[in-house]
Formats: sequence, structure tokens, C-alpha cells
Amino acid sequence: MANALSRVLPSAGRARPRHTGINTLHAFGWTALPWLVPVVCALLWVFGSRYGWISAQVLPPPALVFDTLGALVRSGEIWTHLAASLSRAAVGFCGGVALGVVLGALLGLSPSLEAYVLPSFNAIVQVPVLGWLPFLMIVVGIGEPLKYLLIGHAALVPVTLSTLQGFRSTPPALREVASVYRYSRWQSIVHVTLPAAIPMIGTGVRLAFTKAWLTLVVVELVASSEGLGYLIVYGRQLFQLDLVLAAVLIVGAIGYVADRSLNALERKLDRTGAR
Amino acid sequence: MLLGAALFCAAHAAEPDVVRIGVAQQGMGDPPTFGGSPAATAQSQHRVEDALKPEHVKVEWIFFKGAGPAVNEALANKQIDFAYQGDLPSVLGRANGLKTHLLLASNVRAGVYLAVPPDSDIKGIKDLKGKRVGIFRGTNLQLVADNVLKENGLTERDLRVINLDTAAAQAALASKGVDAVFLDYSLFKLQRQGLAKIVYASRDGGLQLTRQAHLLVLDDFERAHPDTVQKVVTSVVQAAQWSSDEANRSALFALWAKGGVPAQSWQDEYANQPLKDRNSPLIDPFLVARYQAVADDALRLNLIRQPVSVDGWFEPKYLNEAIRTLKLDGYWPRRDASGKALT
Repeated sequence: MANALSRVLPSAGRARPRHTGINTLHAFGWTALPWLVPVVCALLWVFGSRYGWISAQVLPPPALVFDTLGALVRSGEIWTHLAASLSRAAVGFCGGVALGVVLGALLGLSPSLEAYVLPSFNAIVQVPVLGWLPFLMIVVGIGEPLKYLLIGHAALVPVTLSTLQGFRSTPPALREVASVYRYSRWQSIVHVTLPAAIPMIGTGVRLAFTKAWLTLVVVELVASSEGLGYLIVYGRQLFQLDLVLAAVLIVGAIGYVADRSLNALERKLDRTGAR
Repeated sequence: MLLGAALFCAAHAAEPDVVRIGVAQQGMGDPPTFGGSPAATAQSQHRVEDALKPEHVKVEWIFFKGAGPAVNEALANKQIDFAYQGDLPSVLGRANGLKTHLLLASNVRAGVYLAVPPDSDIKGIKDLKGKRVGIFRGTNLQLVADNVLKENGLTERDLRVINLDTAAAQAALASKGVDAVFLDYSLFKLQRQGLAKIVYASRDGGLQLTRQAHLLVLDDFERAHPDTVQKVVTSVVQAAQWSSDEANRSALFALWAKGGVPAQSWQDEYANQPLKDRNSPLIDPFLVARYQAVADDALRLNLIRQPVSVDGWFEPKYLNEAIRTLKLDGYWPRRDASGKALT
């Protein structure tokens, strides 16, 4: 921007250092902007508990929450709960994604199947996953199958829809090339449609993980004997809100890390797909 | 004239506009009501409303499906002034810095039952090892359950404990989602319907396996409105007296049945127990000893992080004044720390 200005206004040479200074400030501002909200929230938390804006039983001071977090790690308790939550999430998520890709592919490849199935599918997914919870609790009980089913359902929906989209949106140019090469149906699916759909499926998988992770925590709130959601309930019932917040922080951290990793993976797939 | 208005306001500052009483139970019926204690009787018979009506003070009874733990949250947010709550949740609240005073007892020497599906092969507490058990965490049911387990050589870690509130526990038991639940008198109805089998009653094991509940007040409210506190306490003591009179036994159960638990269940709950035993509001050595024991057990079980002492927590002056005014001296026997009646 400084170069452009100095080309238009030759006398702006004197002003150049100032423009660079403002540029640096601008750049710094843009990188700092995402941190504004978290830092303000953190400061509100610190000052809120120090000056008692909100009762200490409802919002414990950050020091206590981090203490509790440390105690959980030191006692080794956290690993049992983490293992339980992550394994449930893994099973449900993988199952949901696998089913979702297959279902989305089938719907994408067969317009008649889509015509039969998609309207009902859309209707069923309007019911929030937790709306199914009471019904499923009676049908399958409150053991692991309940969690796998609900997490799988949460993961299934975005993956199915994005796979369907992906299979639908093969660029026409590629399809023409496939017909020029006289690809069989199977060959054109495997060599053209599927690779073109991968970026979209990647997006769907990333969204699916967020939903699956959130569903996991909520299901654990209702019916489980270990896991991060269980820790949240335990803390709440025993009026130890610091335990609740510590568990919430862990949940948020895992969700964030997973989301960022899947994002990076998706971008890598995008690049290899775009060629 | 301004001075006169200020003095007028100061004179009436002793009375609040509204008194909010939190109840650590889910209210049922329309209008919502509950049963099982002198506080419940007072609510059903509108005794507190009548006592405060001359000063135009409204009374709100607020029910909490989340029971004791939810009441603690409301107390922390000062959304209620009084609370009918059990021993353990109040200890948890006190351990976390809630400033309250216990005014009188309401539903003492209550037990806990262990129920299983009708075709289960669990015959007693020892069979619970490794099973999925529902316990309502943070309520006074939990500590009795933990002590019952301890007497049988078990801890919560030997079981797979799931936190279930009253309604969820009954549903889980009926649908065989859990192997057993620890719960209260609401199990009798389930048993009559053939959906559950009660295999253990903690009261059979002695008074150290019972739970107590009380009416408490937030310190700030008590400092600001001591007269109101006295009126509330006196009306609940009146209700306690009515609930302790054997002549009112069936009327009492019929009254409490409006809260959703049938009269037959109350009869089973109070079988072989005099009403005076359960509905005594006295703050006697038994009650104080029980609450200190609850605090000590809570520390031992790591439910609280630092020790809690009951010194200065009970405030019997309103209760004593109520008993004096209502001429109920000696109506209820005082009991010593082990539960034996003092002569």
C-alpha cells in the first residue's frame, strides 16, 4: 500500500516512514483482534471473582479452577474420564462417519434413491439429537450403546449431506473428460467423482466432529458413570463449581484442538484435490 | 415531611415485600405442592401465608427438581431467602461459603431404601458389587447410601454409580436401565405396581443410617428481617404440631398425597413410626450430633475439601420462642446424641 501511494504521490516519500508505521500497527491489530474477546473474558473472570461481582460459589476464581485441574491430573483421575469420553467419541464418530459416507454416496449416485429417501432423512434430522435421548434411553437402556447411537447420529447427518453435495458437484469438465476416455460407471466414480468430492466430505467430517463431541458431553451429563460429562455433573451435584469449570475447560480444549487439526487436514486434502 | 416519610419507611423496612422459600423437592400437582415434612404441611395449609398476611408480605414457594444441589445454587445467587433442604446439601453449601442458619428440623430420622427390578437376583447390599446403581448425588440420600455401603464393606468405587434424580431413577428402574437404586418413599408406588422390589431399608440398621432435613435462612435475610423469620418459624412449628398429632394421621397422609405421592405410600413410609418421631422440629443433641457426623463423613468421602463445623450454624432462638408462644414445651421429646429420648 505504501508503494502504491508513493507512485501516485511522488512527494509522499517524506511520509513513507509514517505509512510503514501505520501498516505495522494495522498488521498487528489484525493478528491481535481474535485475541480480544478471550482476553476480555479472562479479565472479566479474574476481576469478577476478585471483586465479588458474582458469588464465588457460582463463579469460582480462576486460581481455584486451575488448582482443581492440577489435582485431577496429579491424582490420575482425569485419564480414566478422558479415556472413557474419547473412546466413546471415537467409536460413535467413526461409525457415524462411515455410515454417513456410504449413505451420502448412495444418495448422490442414484437420483431415484435420493427422491425416496432424502425427504424422510431431512424430516428425521430436524429432531435435535437430544430429542431422541428419552426415547432411546427406554429402548437401549443407559449403557454404552445409547452413547454410541447418539454420537453416531450426530456425526452421520453432516457427513451424509456433505457427501451427497460432493458427489453432486463434480465439475462438468471432468465428467466430459471421463466420457471422452470412455470410463465405465465404476471407473468414473472412483477416479473422478470420489476425488472431486473429497474436499466436501472433509468439511462434513470436521463439522461432524464438533457435533459428535458436543453430543457426547451432553449424553454423559444425563446417564454415565465416568467421562467428562460425568465430571461436570458430579461437580454440580456436590456444589464444586470449580470442578465443573475445570471439566468444561478440558472439553473446550479438546474440541478446539480436534477442530484445528481437522481443519489443517481438510486444507491439505483441498490442496491435493485442487492440484 | 420528608423526615416523616423516611421514618415511616424505616419503620416498615423490617418487613420484606416477598418471602421466597426454596424446596429441595419437585413440586407436583396444580398448584404445585409436596409432602413428607412439617414444611410440606405448612405449605399445603398456607400457614406461612396466613401468618404474614397482616403485613401484606407475599410468600413464594419455589420447587427445585434438582433438589438440594439446585437449592444451593439458588442460595448462592440469593434467589431464595429460606430453604427446606437436607443435611448433606446444606453441609456442602456451608463448606463452600454459603452463610446460613438452621432454624428448625423438618423430617428427621427418615431412611433410604434400596430397590431393584422385580426379577433381579440382588438380595442385599453386598450383592451390589460391580452393579450399576442410581444414587441422587449431593442430596441427603447419598450420604446414607455411602454409609450403608461402608457398613457392608463397599465403597462407591466398587459400584458403577449413576447420578439419577427422583423421576429418572424410577424410570431407569422400571425400564431395567440400572440394576438398583437408592431412593426414598417414592419407591413404594413402584413396588405396588410391580415395577420394583425394595430389598433393604436403612432405618433397620439404626439411627446412624437415617437422614435429616431442616428449614434454613440466609444470614443476610435474618439480620434484616428477624421478625419475619420468627413468624415463619412459628407457623412451621404449628404445622409440625399438627403433623405430630396421631389423631390427624390419615388426614395428614391425605394432605401430603396432593403432592403426588399416594397416601398408601405415606402409610408404608410411616409404618411402625409415631408421627412425633419424624415431625419433631427440635434442635436437640441428636440433631446436632447427626449434622456434625454428616460433615465429618463428607470430609472423609472427599465430598468437601475442608472440614466443616456445626458450631454456630444452628440458631434455635426462633424455635424456642415459637415453642414458648405455642405452649408446646415438652410436646416433643429431646433426644441425646445416640437418639435415646432424654427424660
